[in-house]
Amino acid sequence: MPTQGLALAGRVAVELVAGIAVGGFLGWLLDSWLGTTPLFMVVLFFIGAAAGMMNVWRAATGRGMAAGYFEEQAESDNDQHKDRSG
Amino acid sequence: MHSPVKQFTIEVLYELSLFGFDISFTNSALFMVLAVIVSTLFLAVAMRPAAVVPGRLQSAAEMMYEFVADMVRSNVGSEGRPYFPFIFTLFVFVLFSNLLGMLPYSYTTTSQIIVTFAMASFIFVAVTLIGLIKHGLHFFSFFVPAGAPKPLYPLIILIEVVSYFVRPVSLSVRLFANMLAGHTMLKVFAGLAVMMAGAGGVTAAGSLLPLLAIIGLTGLEFLVAALQAYVFTILTCMYLNDALHLH
Repeated sequence: MPTQGLALAGRVAVELVAGIAVGGFLGWLLDSWLGTTPLFMVVLFFIGAAAGMMNVWRAATGRGMAAGYFEEQAESDNDQHKDRSG
Repeated sequence: MHSPVKQFTIEVLYELSLFGFDISFTNSALFMVLAVIVSTLFLAVAMRPAAVVPGRLQSAAEMMYEFVADMVRSNVGSEGRPYFPFIFTLFVFVLFSNLLGMLPYSYTTTSQIIVTFAMASFIFVAVTLIGLIKHGLHFFSFFVPAGAPKPLYPLIILIEVVSYFVRPVSLSVRLFANMLAGHTMLKVFAGLAVMMAGAGGVTAAGSLLPLLAIIGLTGLEFLVAALQAYVFTILTCMYLNDALHLH
């Protein structure tokens, strides 16, 4: 369905920017609280960028938006564990 | 000439204050109330015949209901049933706010970040609470990715926590940015058409081009209005699904 493709496209762009914005903002909050200006802001800026990328990847691969929740991957990991123990 | 962003100015229609807070009734509030009234009227009038073989209006209302019901069923599953009324209301409200904004001289409530952010943060808090109530402390296992190497845990958990907090922001910014950009673009093209027509000569004849563009853009804006209501709702479903079904 083309509508779903459009819906996905709309999600992806915002996700990237939002990650960086939220990371930077959380860092700024921590910095102004602990008085460690630019440390956390810089660190969390990059963490935020990574989080944004991760969300884009999740949206693009159709894994939903769950943090840390990948049904298919969890299943294949279980298989791996079985292999290792076996 | 009007500025293309003049359409987004908040105008106070009726001044009100409660315990020193300014809670004036604005044009934005008016269109939120209108969205509620129009959607309620639409559903009530459409469903009045309650015929077995629905007419046009009743079909439209039933299709809207089925659409959201299918969305909840396929994205959340049967545990999502208690939340269906909320999700349906959310969809209808966002859809009607977006569509009412397409009327000339009207106001697009969803083009205000504070409106969309209020909705998104309510959903964020509610979904987090549902997850916490349903799973207790196990909810925090949510942030631990399955099958990642142990030494990477601190970094990955940090990224996951930040990506969780990104949710309300990306949810609200998406709706707001789409409505803001679309409506600004319409006004920019409209302003261009008026300016070109005013210039006279060949330029005036050329004003037909932006005019044609506006026709296309208006169609696109109707699509965006419906699409963004759909995206907002489906993401709410996905977030709810995450909270209900942990790994």
